[in-house]
Amino acid sequence: MRFWSDLRRILWNDKPALVGGIIVLIYVLMAIFGPMLVHISSVQNASDAYAGPSPQHLLGTDALGQDVLAQIIVGCRPIMIVGVVSAVITVVVGVVIGLVSGYVGGFTDSALMRVTDVFLTVPGLPLIIMIAAIVHTTNPLVLALILSVTAWPGLARAIRSQALSLRSSDFIEAARLQGLGLGNIVGRQLLPNVGPYVAIHFLLGITGAIYAQVGLFLLGIAPISGTNWGIMINLAMSQGALYTPGSALYLFSPMAAIVILQVAFVFFSRALDSVFNPRLRVQ
Amino acid sequence: MVQYILKRLGISLAIIYIVLTVSFFMVRLMPGNPMAALEAQLRVQGGMTEQEIEQRVQTVYGLMPKAPLGTQYLDYLGNILHGNLGRPITNPSTTVVAVIGSALPWTILVVAVSLLISFVIGVYIGNRMAVHPGSTFAKVWTFIVSVMGAVPSYLVAIVLLYFLTGIWRVFPSNGAYDVGVTPGFNWPFISSVAYHAVLPIAASVITSFGGWALAMKGSAVSVLGSEYVRAAEARGLSDRVISRSYIGRNSMLPMITQLALAVGFMFGGSVFVETYFQYPGIGYYMVQSVNSRDYSLMMGCFVLITTAVVVANFLVDLLYPAVDPRIAWPSSRKVAATGGEPTTETVALVAQGGV
Repeated sequence: MRFWSDLRRILWNDKPALVGGIIVLIYVLMAIFGPMLVHISSVQNASDAYAGPSPQHLLGTDALGQDVLAQIIVGCRPIMIVGVVSAVITVVVGVVIGLVSGYVGGFTDSALMRVTDVFLTVPGLPLIIMIAAIVHTTNPLVLALILSVTAWPGLARAIRSQALSLRSSDFIEAARLQGLGLGNIVGRQLLPNVGPYVAIHFLLGITGAIYAQVGLFLLGIAPISGTNWGIMINLAMSQGALYTPGSALYLFSPMAAIVILQVAFVFFSRALDSVFNPRLRVQ
Repeated sequence: MVQYILKRLGISLAIIYIVLTVSFFMVRLMPGNPMAALEAQLRVQGGMTEQEIEQRVQTVYGLMPKAPLGTQYLDYLGNILHGNLGRPITNPSTTVVAVIGSALPWTILVVAVSLLISFVIGVYIGNRMAVHPGSTFAKVWTFIVSVMGAVPSYLVAIVLLYFLTGIWRVFPSNGAYDVGVTPGFNWPFISSVAYHAVLPIAASVITSFGGWALAMKGSAVSVLGSEYVRAAEARGLSDRVISRSYIGRNSMLPMITQLALAVGFMFGGSVFVETYFQYPGIGYYMVQSVNSRDYSLMMGCFVLITTAVVVANFLVDLLYPAVDPRIAWPSSRKVAATGGEPTTETVALVAQGGV
């Protein structure tokens, strides 16, 4: 396949992107297999609190003497699930609205774009906070749905401008002359041509969703249940980690886990960008 | 020109109206709707007759809980037009408008200053990166900027808090000014305000200038190959003049559009920054009200943040014709629209950095 050989060559030449891709892969594996291999021990031992790194606890312990590394590994899956599900919803909604709006045009287009404009203008984070506060859910799927409420309009606009320029191209004209229906033209003719946008926005969608959901857990707006990185930081902060000597590792480990993943996503998506956009490679 | 302004004004008002309506129906129709919840809570507390409960709910939300939905909706809109957003549930002796009024200046201060600083730094770095590609400057800053753009602002806030208020007590960790100073136009007050605003502003700038730099770089690179730049080079103009007056000015156009979007992101992002630095702006009160289930204050904060963003967008729309006159003249709108549309990559990057 052309795509894979291009991707391999570009990753090989762009080392940060290669490292980013590998890190993302590691996180994905950690989310899938982590909870099967590692368990958070139920033993709580306050005398062991805020222990430094040791062979038993590579990243030390928290306020209850529990292993930080195990929490990081177990906390990966919920974050990734919400991120991926939210990105999928975002991409589906954004692509469908963008393609239909750009291809059909006329009243449908202006109606859909007005709605998109409203969502684009309303500040996303406060809207998410308000919905999350009222819905107050522990269900990861509902949380993902809330997060994607504000994420799709940007993609819809980008896809629409693509569809606008594709609309007058010869192959679309040919499809129309053959009498193909709207579903076929949008799904079979237009969709493959906006693939690159979809792929890149999918990655950006995951990073955005991770950013927002960790934020919700940090502020205590999403209900605290189970273990994930946002909850870890929230607990660390509420236990006074800022003013507790020795708690640095406990506070900063989940933060590092988030930052490394986000940076890896950004570098990897850059490589993907240049695979799809040959003109970027010239620079 | 007049037509342009009227159209923008119409869109802005329509968005505000939609937000007000959606907020209203969210409070009334959501499962576990806050008005019913307040009624139930007062009933459980006991000591109040049904009528008193109804009155209490009415003072808090400014609505008759038993009235038909349509009447309530009209009452609600009427109240807002009179500047009445109800009273905070947790503190019914004051009004939501009073609380927000005291918070708004602080948010505007932090958002405006940090937006300005990160815009200037980002545009400068982005321009330099585009004009001298392949230089060490460009390589180093591309890396730094990509990394910083990916770091969430709340994590930067925590790091700053940890080192600059926890370990070394360099900066204050809460409030907008010292308790001891009297607010007013005097030096102790102003310096105290500036001192308290340093960390919130720093946290926003650190996480948002990267997005601007990348967007500016993308925009400047697309201008780089144009004929007027080559013509300027052929005329023997110095690199500085070319990069500032020819590349800089023209690649600024899409940046101004993004300034409008960024105001919204910054207001949103201020929720985290203000909460962590316990800085008494709107974002801080919004999170406080959510955590204490104070829905009337929460709605007020949301409506006001949205209105502020819409107004800011409108002001940028007014500013735009001054930068690019083509926008305001319908005959040439098409040219400007195709030339000034930011690319998806840059929008995505600014969205990343600015949230």
